[in-house]
Amino acid sequence: MRRMDQLHGFLSSLASLTPLNFQIWDTNGLVYASDNGAMASNLKQHQAFSAHVINQATYQCHVHDGAPLLFGMPITYGHEVIGSLIASGSIARSADRSEDGLQAQTCDARKMKPFLTHLAGLAGETWANRKEIEEVAEELSLSFEDLSLYARISNHMRSLQFSGEMLKALVEELQETLRVDLAFIELPDRGEYNAIVTGRELQDRASDQQAFAHNLIQSIPEEAPSLEQDYFIVNDSRTMPGYRELDPEPYRFLAVKVAHNSTFDGWLGLVSFKLEEHFRQSELRLLQSMAKQISVLLANVDLYHDLEEFVINMVKSLVFAIEAKDVYTRGHSERVNRYAMLTAERLQLDEAEKNVLNWASILHDIGKIGIPESILNKPARLNDEEFNVIKGHPKKGHKILEPIEQLASCLPSILHHHERYDGKGYPQGLKGEEIPFLARIIAVADTFDAITSNRAYRSATAAEKALAIVDEVAGTQLDPVVVEAFKEVYETTLKAEFDTSHDA
Amino acid sequence: MENNKKVLVIDDDAQIRRVVELKLRKQGYHVVIAMNGEEGLQMIESEQPDAVVTDVMMPKLDGESLCKQTNHLKKQRPFLTIVMTNRISPEDRHWVKEMQDTHLMEKPFSPTRLLGCIDEYFRRSGS
Repeated sequence: MRRMDQLHGFLSSLASLTPLNFQIWDTNGLVYASDNGAMASNLKQHQAFSAHVINQATYQCHVHDGAPLLFGMPITYGHEVIGSLIASGSIARSADRSEDGLQAQTCDARKMKPFLTHLAGLAGETWANRKEIEEVAEELSLSFEDLSLYARISNHMRSLQFSGEMLKALVEELQETLRVDLAFIELPDRGEYNAIVTGRELQDRASDQQAFAHNLIQSIPEEAPSLEQDYFIVNDSRTMPGYRELDPEPYRFLAVKVAHNSTFDGWLGLVSFKLEEHFRQSELRLLQSMAKQISVLLANVDLYHDLEEFVINMVKSLVFAIEAKDVYTRGHSERVNRYAMLTAERLQLDEAEKNVLNWASILHDIGKIGIPESILNKPARLNDEEFNVIKGHPKKGHKILEPIEQLASCLPSILHHHERYDGKGYPQGLKGEEIPFLARIIAVADTFDAITSNRAYRSATAAEKALAIVDEVAGTQLDPVVVEAFKEVYETTLKAEFDTSHDA
Repeated sequence: MENNKKVLVIDDDAQIRRVVELKLRKQGYHVVIAMNGEEGLQMIESEQPDAVVTDVMMPKLDGESLCKQTNHLKKQRPFLTIVMTNRISPEDRHWVKEMQDTHLMEKPFSPTRLLGCIDEYFRRSGS
């Protein structure tokens, strides 16, 4: 029984003002005694009497000649007897040893019943109030948990880029906060994002959780009415054909559809083996709202991929357009891209830089689109005027791509890929560290490919010679640090390719 | 489940007080309540709690000032302080780091985690 400080205080005062002592018992044992255990010697007797009162669920009076008097009244909560209020009296003592003694006892005993009825009623009411307050507070506490979980989940969604790890983290939060044994997300068309998290107690179970989760989803009947609200619930697996068989131990199961507009992505599911608790309405709402957010995220991921794909194809078309004009440089952009990326790997650039380099290296010659074919494909040596036109291509490329906001970070690398380390390059004559680092990487890759794409050089020995040339201009034309990295790339990766494919 | 630890809860929000009180009581903690920072400050001295759970934004005296004014008491008699705030800012982290046995917790908080944090402190301090 819960604490009832006020009532206990009241009974203690009453005990000090009257010859009565009080005890409150619940079904587990003694909860309160006004005399702090002075009646301990009779405790066994009192316990038996309390059990009798609780059992009979009516007022009981135990009057024994010479023995202490016991009065008992059941304490009820609703229709349930939850304990007893016991009064033990030294009423006989108060009435002295006179002849009227017995008269006094019976008289007081008669008055005892209504008195204890009121008192037990008060105890029951106090109990009910307490319980109600605690239930409300408990409910409130659960809402706090939900709220906190929700805040943490939206933080995850905000701070992390969408990934399998993110979904795993979400599912972990769900499992932990909702204290279920199993939480999972199953996305049939995106298996790489599937996540399953089990509570500590369940980890020892031998059964295959993945298969269990999968079967739970598979067994959802298509015509279940709750599916119109995108969820499905099994409160007790024993009552549900198709679910009874999935695990010998009874469990409850809640699944919510991850779906956006008409696109179905999969399911978010919870399993608990604690049947004494139920899935709460708030848990369902939380899960539904999470599922909605996940589906929107997935739709965004798709959109992003589509867009990325579109841009990649667009760029490839552009590059193809220039290379179609320039017979000498067919495949040049893709090779420069590859060499640059391998070098970036060696130089341990971070993902963001690599992303920029990827685009910049494939687009570095885009400005050549504005150069007349007659100059690009001129077999003879170019005159100064023609050479100046060629030298305009980094600036032209910059200008062509400038309106594309998403490529803004690539522009410096494109503009400066013909700068020289010693400052004698173009268009701005930048020197050393002034040249953007990514532009210096492209310059090395570009130089190497310009030499090796010449037919005469496409053999292993020629590639070695090309490398020697690149090495020779390190510190004058090219950044020595980048050249050093490129030489390693050549040794580990490129050398073998030249050996097998071009050595005639 | 009784334990002899006393926890002071300082918050001007009645719902938060009620939830924290219930959770702690259930775990057997003795709970005392203050409704604002000033009252909290007095009770830290008069009640000598083993742990304090306090809000940051409060009338009369805010949580940060409360912590700074009571931190010196911890040298003699260490006690745990959990500071609950709506959004943990770098400034919060900074001043909390200067305090002894003081932790930040972001709101909306999980009552279970709060309790876990308090239990953990007493388990570690070995009392």
